[in-house]
Amino acid sequence: MKTFEEKWTAWLDGELSGSELAAFEASLPDRVAAEAEKQAAQKLRLLLKRELSISKLANEEFFSHQLRERIGHEGNSNTGRESRSSGWWTVPRLLWSGAFAMAVFLVCTVWVMQDNDFADQSPLTTKVLNAKLDPTAGTDATVTVFEDTEDNVTVLWTEGLKSLPSEYAAK
Amino acid sequence: MFRRLVLLTTCFALVISAGSTNAGLLYDLLHPLRSHRKSASRHASSEHPGEIVWSGLVMADNAEKPAAIPQELAPIETTLKELFGYNQFEIIGQSRTALHKGDENWDAASKHFKLFVDAQGPAEGGYAVNLKLVQHDDAQAPPDQVVLETDTKLSKRSPLVIKGPQVGGGQLLLVLVVR
Repeated sequence: MKTFEEKWTAWLDGELSGSELAAFEASLPDRVAAEAEKQAAQKLRLLLKRELSISKLANEEFFSHQLRERIGHEGNSNTGRESRSSGWWTVPRLLWSGAFAMAVFLVCTVWVMQDNDFADQSPLTTKVLNAKLDPTAGTDATVTVFEDTEDNVTVLWTEGLKSLPSEYAAK
Repeated sequence: MFRRLVLLTTCFALVISAGSTNAGLLYDLLHPLRSHRKSASRHASSEHPGEIVWSGLVMADNAEKPAAIPQELAPIETTLKELFGYNQFEIIGQSRTALHKGDENWDAASKHFKLFVDAQGPAEGGYAVNLKLVQHDDAQAPPDQVVLETDTKLSKRSPLVIKGPQVGGGQLLLVLVVR
C-alpha cells in the first residue's frame, strides 16, 4: 500500500498508469494546482539535466596518465618526509661521525704530544737562569751561556775576570 | 647535515683546545707521558734518593806530560780540552753529595776557593740550585769575596761547566755533574 507521498512522487515522474493514475488524480483536492506543480517539477528536472550533465572527457587516457603521475609523485614525497622524520642520526651517520671525531682527536693528541715532547727536551739540558759577577772581580766582566752539544754540556763562560796569582791554584 | 657536522667538529675542537691549556682530567688524558714523567721525577727525587751531585773545583793548565784526566771529568774530556784549550785538568776541591730531598746545601773547597751549592728543590728533569763561587784570601779584607753567583736548573743529563778566573798560567773551572 503506497502512501500519498509515494504516489505523488510517482505521479510527478509520470510513473502512474491505468486505474492507479485515475484513482490518484481523482483523490487530488485541487487538480489544477497539482498539474501546475507537476509541470514546474518537470521543467526543473529538465533544467537540472541540461545544466548538471557531466561533460565527457575528450582525452581519457591523457587524464588517466596525469592522475597516475600525480599519485606517484605524492607517494615519493611522502616517503621522503617519512625518512626525514626518522632523524638525522642514522646508524651510518653515527659511525661516520664517530670515526671523524676519533680522527680529529688523534690529530689533536699527536699535535699536543709533539708540543709536549718539544717542551720536555728542556729538562734534559741544564739551564742557567741568571748569573752575576762581583764588580770587584772584574769591572768589565761578562757572562755568556751556551751549550756544547758534543757532550751535552752547558757552559757558563765568563770573560774579563781579574787574573789571580798561581798560588790560588793550591788545593 | 653539513652544518651539524661542522657544529660537532667545532665543539670537539673547543673541548680539545680547552683541555690542552688547562689542567684537569682532559689535560691528563692528553698528556699521559707528561704526568707519568712528573710523577716519576717526584718519585725519584723524594722517595728514592740516590742521585749524586759531584761538584768540583778544577784547575786546567797545559803540561808537557799531562796527567790522566780525573774519572769524574772523563765524560766531558773532549769538551773541556777543545773548549778551554788545556791538556791537563786537576781537581783542587770537590764534593760528592747524595740528594735526599733535593734541598741540601754543600760546598766544594780548595785553599782559596769555595763553591757553595744550595739546592732549592727538584725541578722538571733536575734540580734548581744556587751557586756561589767565593774567593778566600786572609790577606784581603774582607777575606771572602763572592766572585760569581748564579741560579741554575741542573739537569741529570747535562753537566754544568763554569769558567772561573785565570789563575797563574791556568784556568779555574767549576764543574757540576748529576749522576
